[in-house]
Amino acid sequence: MGLKQEDLLLNNSSNWNVDEMPIDKQKLAAPIKSAVDKFQLLPEFLKVRGLVKQHLDSFNYFVNTGIKKIVRANERIASDVDPSIYLRFKDVRIGEPSMTIDGISEKINPHTCRLSDMTYAAPILVNIEYIQGSHGQKTRLEKNDLVIGRMPIMLRSCCCVLFGKDEAELARLGECPLDPGGYFIIKGAEKVILIQEQLSKNRIIIDADKKGNINASVTSSSEATKSKTVIQMEKDKIYLLLNQFVKKIPIMVVMKAMGMESDQEVVQMVGRDPRYGALLLPSIEECSGVGIYTQEQALEYLETKVKRAMYAAPASQKEGRALPILRDVFLANVPVRCNNFRPKCLYVAVMMRRMMEAILNKDAMDDKDYVGNKRLELSGQLISLLFEDLFKTTISEVKKLIDHALSKPSRSSALDPSQFLRSRETITVGLERTLSTGNFDIKRFRMHRKGMTQVLARLSFIGTLGYMTKISPQFEKSRKVSGPRALQPSQWGMLCPCDTPEGEACGLVKNLALMTHVTTDEDEGPLISLCYCLGVEDLELLSGEELHTPNSFLVILNGLILGKHRRPQHFAQAMRKLRRAGKVGEFVSVFVNEKQRCVYIASDGGRVCRPLVIADKGISRIKEHHMKELLDGVRTFDDFLHDGLIEYLDVNEENNALIALYEKEATPETTHIEIEPFTILGVCAGLIPYPHHNQSPRNTYQCAMGKQAMGNIAYNQLCRMDTLLYLLVYPQRPLLTTRTIELVGYDKLGAGQNATVAVMSYSGYDIEDAIVMNKSSLDRGFGRCIVMKRYSAVNQKYETGASDRILRPQRTGPGSERMQILDDDGIAAPGEIIRPNDVYLNKESSIHTRGTRVSSESLPDSAYRPARQTYKGPEGESCVVDRVALSSDRNSNLSIKFLIRHTRRPEVGDKFSSRHGQKGVCGTIIQQEDFPFSERGICPDLIMNPHGFPSRMTVGKMIELLGGKAGVSCGRFHYGSAFGEPSGHADRVEAISETLVKHGFSYNGKDFIYSGITGCPLQAYIFMGPIYYQKLKHMVLDKMHARGNGPRVMLTRQPTEGRARNGGLRVGEMERDCLIAYGASMLIFERLMISSDPFEVQVCRKCGLLGYYSHKLKTGICSSCKNGDNVSTMKLPYACKLLIQELQSMNIVPRLKLAEA
Amino acid sequence: MEGVSYQRFPKVKIRELKDDYAKFELRDTDASMANALRRVMIAEVPTIAIDLVEIEVNSSVLNDEFIAHRLGLIPLTSERAMSMRFSRDCDACDGDGQCEFCSVEFHLRAKCMNDQTLDVTSKDLYSSDHTVVPVDFTDSAGYDSSEQRGIIIVKLRRGQELRLRAIARKGIGKDHAKWSPAATVTFMYEAEIHINEDLMETLTLEEKQSFVESSPTRVFDIDPNTQQVVVVDPEAYTYDDEVIKKAEAMGKPGLVEIYAKEDSFIFTVESTGAIKASQLVLNAIEILKQKLDAVRLSEDTVEADDQFGELGAHMRGG
Repeated sequence: MGLKQEDLLLNNSSNWNVDEMPIDKQKLAAPIKSAVDKFQLLPEFLKVRGLVKQHLDSFNYFVNTGIKKIVRANERIASDVDPSIYLRFKDVRIGEPSMTIDGISEKINPHTCRLSDMTYAAPILVNIEYIQGSHGQKTRLEKNDLVIGRMPIMLRSCCCVLFGKDEAELARLGECPLDPGGYFIIKGAEKVILIQEQLSKNRIIIDADKKGNINASVTSSSEATKSKTVIQMEKDKIYLLLNQFVKKIPIMVVMKAMGMESDQEVVQMVGRDPRYGALLLPSIEECSGVGIYTQEQALEYLETKVKRAMYAAPASQKEGRALPILRDVFLANVPVRCNNFRPKCLYVAVMMRRMMEAILNKDAMDDKDYVGNKRLELSGQLISLLFEDLFKTTISEVKKLIDHALSKPSRSSALDPSQFLRSRETITVGLERTLSTGNFDIKRFRMHRKGMTQVLARLSFIGTLGYMTKISPQFEKSRKVSGPRALQPSQWGMLCPCDTPEGEACGLVKNLALMTHVTTDEDEGPLISLCYCLGVEDLELLSGEELHTPNSFLVILNGLILGKHRRPQHFAQAMRKLRRAGKVGEFVSVFVNEKQRCVYIASDGGRVCRPLVIADKGISRIKEHHMKELLDGVRTFDDFLHDGLIEYLDVNEENNALIALYEKEATPETTHIEIEPFTILGVCAGLIPYPHHNQSPRNTYQCAMGKQAMGNIAYNQLCRMDTLLYLLVYPQRPLLTTRTIELVGYDKLGAGQNATVAVMSYSGYDIEDAIVMNKSSLDRGFGRCIVMKRYSAVNQKYETGASDRILRPQRTGPGSERMQILDDDGIAAPGEIIRPNDVYLNKESSIHTRGTRVSSESLPDSAYRPARQTYKGPEGESCVVDRVALSSDRNSNLSIKFLIRHTRRPEVGDKFSSRHGQKGVCGTIIQQEDFPFSERGICPDLIMNPHGFPSRMTVGKMIELLGGKAGVSCGRFHYGSAFGEPSGHADRVEAISETLVKHGFSYNGKDFIYSGITGCPLQAYIFMGPIYYQKLKHMVLDKMHARGNGPRVMLTRQPTEGRARNGGLRVGEMERDCLIAYGASMLIFERLMISSDPFEVQVCRKCGLLGYYSHKLKTGICSSCKNGDNVSTMKLPYACKLLIQELQSMNIVPRLKLAEA
Repeated sequence: MEGVSYQRFPKVKIRELKDDYAKFELRDTDASMANALRRVMIAEVPTIAIDLVEIEVNSSVLNDEFIAHRLGLIPLTSERAMSMRFSRDCDACDGDGQCEFCSVEFHLRAKCMNDQTLDVTSKDLYSSDHTVVPVDFTDSAGYDSSEQRGIIIVKLRRGQELRLRAIARKGIGKDHAKWSPAATVTFMYEAEIHINEDLMETLTLEEKQSFVESSPTRVFDIDPNTQQVVVVDPEAYTYDDEVIKKAEAMGKPGLVEIYAKEDSFIFTVESTGAIKASQLVLNAIEILKQKLDAVRLSEDTVEADDQFGELGAHMRGG
C-alpha cells in the first residue's frame, strides 16, 4: 500500500499542487500545512500514553475503580448463626508499596525487591464496620485501614513509588528512566501478564459450525454470572443450546416459557418479511407438535430437560428450576427486572433475525477473526478476576470462622469478627502464587489457563518492550487453521503486521502497533440516559411489529438493545459530537451498521483503538498554529483531544470513517486523516529502516531477531543481578534511524554497531551467509560483548537450629590452589579472575538437618560436611567475579549471589545479523592488511557475500547502506521510517545519491577497491558502506561440544547425553542406516559397541543363560548349571545384558544360543 | 632466473609531509612492491602499546577488562620501538616483560573528590620513561591545550577511584591492532587522462558542462577563457568510469581515455601519532629490507629451515 501511494505521489506530486489543490484551499482559506508537523503528535502521544499505557491504564482502573466495585458487591459478611452480627466493608484502597518485618512496616522500592528476591506489593487496606459482642450487648465498631492482604503492584502504575517521578528521582531509586514499567516483581523475578485475546463478550456472533449449521452465539458476562448461549438452525428448525439443559430445546418453547405465547408476535418480532416467516414456520410447527401452547406447558417441558446438578441447591417450589435458568443463565447479559422477560424475548428475536439474514445471505455471517469482534484482556482485568475470587474465598472463610465461633456454647470473650480478617493470607498468597506460576485457576469463573505470565526477558531493551505488546491467542496453537493466522485487514493500525513469531504460533501471537490503545470499562448508566435523551425509543414501549420497521435502526449499547432510532446517522453524529466535546468518554465508539440496521455503541473494556485526526469535508482540523502551540509546549496531546481535533476510533467505528493516509489525498468525503502511516508497525518492526522496501517475511524475521540482539538493557544494567545478562561493550546508535527508534529510546539503548560492510565475495569462507570479519576491527572492539551469569547459594538454616556455615579458606595444603580467589570470609572476592573448578564459596553444610534440636555453636567440625561451590565454566576461558551480593531470602536465610563476568570478542561461528532478517555466522577472521581497501583508505569491517541479496530481496538493506554512507559523509543521521518518503521521515534514494556525489562517492554507493593481498584493483566496483549490525546471543562458546572419553550413565553404562553433561555424540537410527547401506560394518560395531558400552559376559552354551566370572577359580561359572564346563566368554553391550536381566526379573527367560563364528 | 635482471630503481617524491600525515609518489615499481610497503606499514612496523594491566582499585562504571582494552588502544610515542626488544625474546628478563629493554611501566591514579564528573584521560598516565608517553595531539591539531585533554579512558563520579599499573611492550600490528602505527595507509594508481580534443570540440558548452559535472569528483573543469575542457586534478579521479559512461551516453565514445599507470602510485599515510608518518615509511622500508634479507640469507642454507620452518623450504622452491 505504501509503495503504491508513493508511486502515485511521485507521478502526481506536481499536478496535485499546481492544478487541483489551490482552488480548493484558496476557497476555504485554510493554510496548507505539511504532514511533517503532524509527526510531533507522536512523541506527545507517547508522553501521555506511553508504550505500555494499556497495561498501566488497565491496572490503574482496577486499583481505582475495579477493586472498589468488587468489594462493594461483596461488602457484607453476616453470620448464619446470629444474623445481627455482621462485618461490612465500607471502603477499600491500596496503600503504598511496603513490607512488614516484625511488625514494622517499611517502604520498599522496586529495585531492592529485584535484588533481594522480594515481591513488590502494597497492602490492601479496608475500612470496616462490624458488630462486636455476644448475646445481649452488641456494639457497632469501626476500624480503618485494616490490612487484608498484599497486592503486587505494577511498576509505574499509580500505586507505584515510581509514579510521576522524573529522571533524576528514578535514578536515585535505581531505576532506568527508559524502562516502560507495566510488569510486576514477584519474588525478585519480573513478571508480565501477557495481553490475552478473546472473542468479545455479550455480542451476537453469527457463525457456522462444522456441519454447516448456522448458529448465533452470545458469550454473556455479567457481574453475577458468565454463560454461553447458542441458538442454532438445525434441519430447518431453530433450537437453543445451553449448558444447563440436557438437550437442545426448540426455540419456540423457550419463547413461550418466557411468556411469548402468541406465535404471531414472535413472527412480528423477527420481522414481517415472508422469508423470515417461512424459515420460522418449521419451528412453530414443532412446538405445537409437542403440544405446548402456554407458558406453563413450556416451563413444564423445560423442567424435564434441566440438567441435574451434582450439588443440587434446593429449588424453590414456587418457580421450579427452569425459570431461574432462563432468568439468570440464559442470555445473562440481558437483565430481567421483576420477571419481565420482554427484553430477553426481543433479544432472542434479534438473534433469530440475524441468523436468518445469514441463512438468506451468507455475507451476513460474522468473521471471528475480525479485530472488531475481539477484546484484549489486560493485566488489570485478569488481576481483578483473581482478586474477586480470592476475596470471595476470604469472605467465606471468615464467615465460617465467625459461625464456628458463634456456635460454640460458651464463649469467654466478646467476638471480634475483624480479627479473623486480619490473619487471612489467602489473598496475598493467592495473588503471589498465580502471578509467579502464571496458572490462572479460578474455579468460580471456570477459568483454567496456563502460561498467563512470563518472566520478562532482559536480553535486549527491545525484547523487553516486545513482551509488553505481545498478545497471546485464545486458541491452542496446534490447530492447523489458516483463518486466525492470516493477516486481517481490520488489523491496520492496531496490530503490527510484521511482528509475529515463526513456527507454530505464527499469526496467532500478535503485537500491538505503536499508537494502539486498549480501552478500559466505562460506566454505562450515563450513556444509557444520554441515548434516551437523544431520541432513542425505549424498547419497552415498542411492539414487536415496530422493532424492525424499515425506517429505523436498533440502538445497541455494549450488546444490550436499548431501543430504536429513526434517524440513525443524526443520532450517531450527535453522539460523536458529544464525544469530541468531551461530554462522553473519549473511548466510546459509535458505529452505524447499515447492513444490520443497527447503531452499535460500545464503552466496554478491551477494545483496541487508535487516535486519528478529524477532518471536515476532507480538511484537517489540525492547523499550523495548533502544531506551533504544541511545539511551544502550551498544548498537549490531551488538549488536541479535548478540542476535538483528534479522536480515538475503534475497529468498528473505523468502518464508518473514510480515512486518508495523507492530507493531500483527502477528498471531500474524507472524515479522518492518519497521524503517521509508520504507526501501523509495532515497536520491533519500527527498528527496521526502509521496511517497506523489503520482502515482508524479512521484516518478520528481524522482529524475532531484534529481541536476541545484544546491547544495552537499561541504564541500571550494571546494578542488576539477572541470571543471564548479555551486554555489548561499545553499543552504537544506528546511523540510519527511524522515528520509532527515537520514540522508543533505541537510540539511547542500542543493540548493535555500525559496521562498514563490503558486499563482495572473499576467500570462500563466506558461503551460506557467513561473513568475513576484519581482525583489526575486532581488536578495536567491534562485536565485543560481556556475558554475566549469576550463581547463587543459600546458607540454609535447619529446623534443628543447626545451619550451614561458611569457612575461612585454607591457604596451604591440598585443595588450597582452588581457593585462591576466596577472601578471608570464604566468599570469592569481586574482581578476581575465576577459572573452571575454582571454589567461589567455601561452604559446609550441617548433617543435623532434622530431628532433635542442637545449638549451632556447640557442634563439632565433624557435624559438617563440605559443600563447596565450584565454578564450572568454559575451559580455557578466564572469567571474573563481577559482584557479590548478600541478602536474606524470604525464609531469612542468608543468600549469596555471585555475578560472574566474561568478556568475549567475536570468534568464528558467532552469529550476527543486520536489521533486515539477514543473519549469518562469522566464517573467518582476516588480518586487516589482507582486507580490500579503497583509495581513501577505507577498509571494511566485514564482508558479506552478494548472494545474500537476490533471493531475499532486502532492498531496504541496500538503501540503509546508501543512507548510512551519505550519513557519515555529511554528518547527519538519515532516516528510514516505514512509508516515510512522502512525509519526509525517510530520505529518498535520489537525495541520498546526491549527497554521496557531493562528497565524492559514486551515486550508486559502489567504490573502487584494491585487493589487500595483491594491491591490484578489483575487477568490479564494490557496494560498500555502513550497515547497522546486531550481535545475536547465539555464540559458539556456549554451543561447541566434543568429547573423547567422558562420563557414562550409571544404569546403562552408555555415554551421557547432552552438552551440559559432557555427553557423547549419538549415532542415531538414520546415521546407522546410512552406515548399513554403505556396508561399513566395522564402523557400526565400533560406534555402537566399542565406544559405547562393551561388557564381557559369561554365557553358558548349554542353558543359554548368563553366568559370572569366578575370580577364585579363574573361570566362568553358570549359576543355573552350577558348573563352569560349558561357559564361554563373549562381549555384549551392557544395555543388552541389562535387558536380559530385566526380562529375567519378569519371569521371561531369554536364552543366548552361541554358534561358532 | 640467472642472467636476466628485473631490477628497477623505484623513486619516491614527497608531496606533503606533516607529523602524522604523508603523501608521496612511488614510481618505477609495481603493485607488489607498493602493496608490500603498505602491508608492512599496517602490520609489521613495531610500536609500543600497553599490554599488561594490573588493577589495584577500580570502582568506576567500566569493568577491568574494559579499561584494559581501552588503555591498550591508546597510542604511545614509539620512536624507541625499533631499538627495543620484543619481550618474548628479551634476555634480560626471561621474556616476562619487566625490564627496561622490553617494557615501559605506567601508573594511573585518579579519584573523583567532588560532584563534578572527572574525566580520566591518557594525560593521567604517568610513564616511567619520558620517551614513551601517550600521544599528545594538542600542538598538531592546533586546539587550545586547555580544551584538549587527551584520550578519555573513563569518567568518574564522586567517590569513584581508579588506580592501576600498566606495562607497555613492543609489538606489531599483526598481533593486535593496538600495535599498528598506521591509521590509514592507502595508495592509488596514478591516472592518465587523455581528452580527445577534436571530439571535445564538437560538444556545445552545455554538453561540456554536463560532461564535467558527470564526475562525482572534480577531475575536469572548463577553462573560463578558452571554454575548453581541461583536466584539473587527475588524482581526484576515482576510477568510477562515470565520465566514460557519460561520453558514451552522449554518443561520443572515446571522448576521454583514462589509463591507470601501472608503475606509479600515490601513497597516503596517516599515522596514529605513535611514530611520525615519515618515520613510519622509513621503518617500513627498513623492515621490508630485513625481511628480504632473511629470504636471501636462507636461499641456500638448510639451517634456515629452523628459522622459517615451512616457509623457508617454500622460499627455496621446495
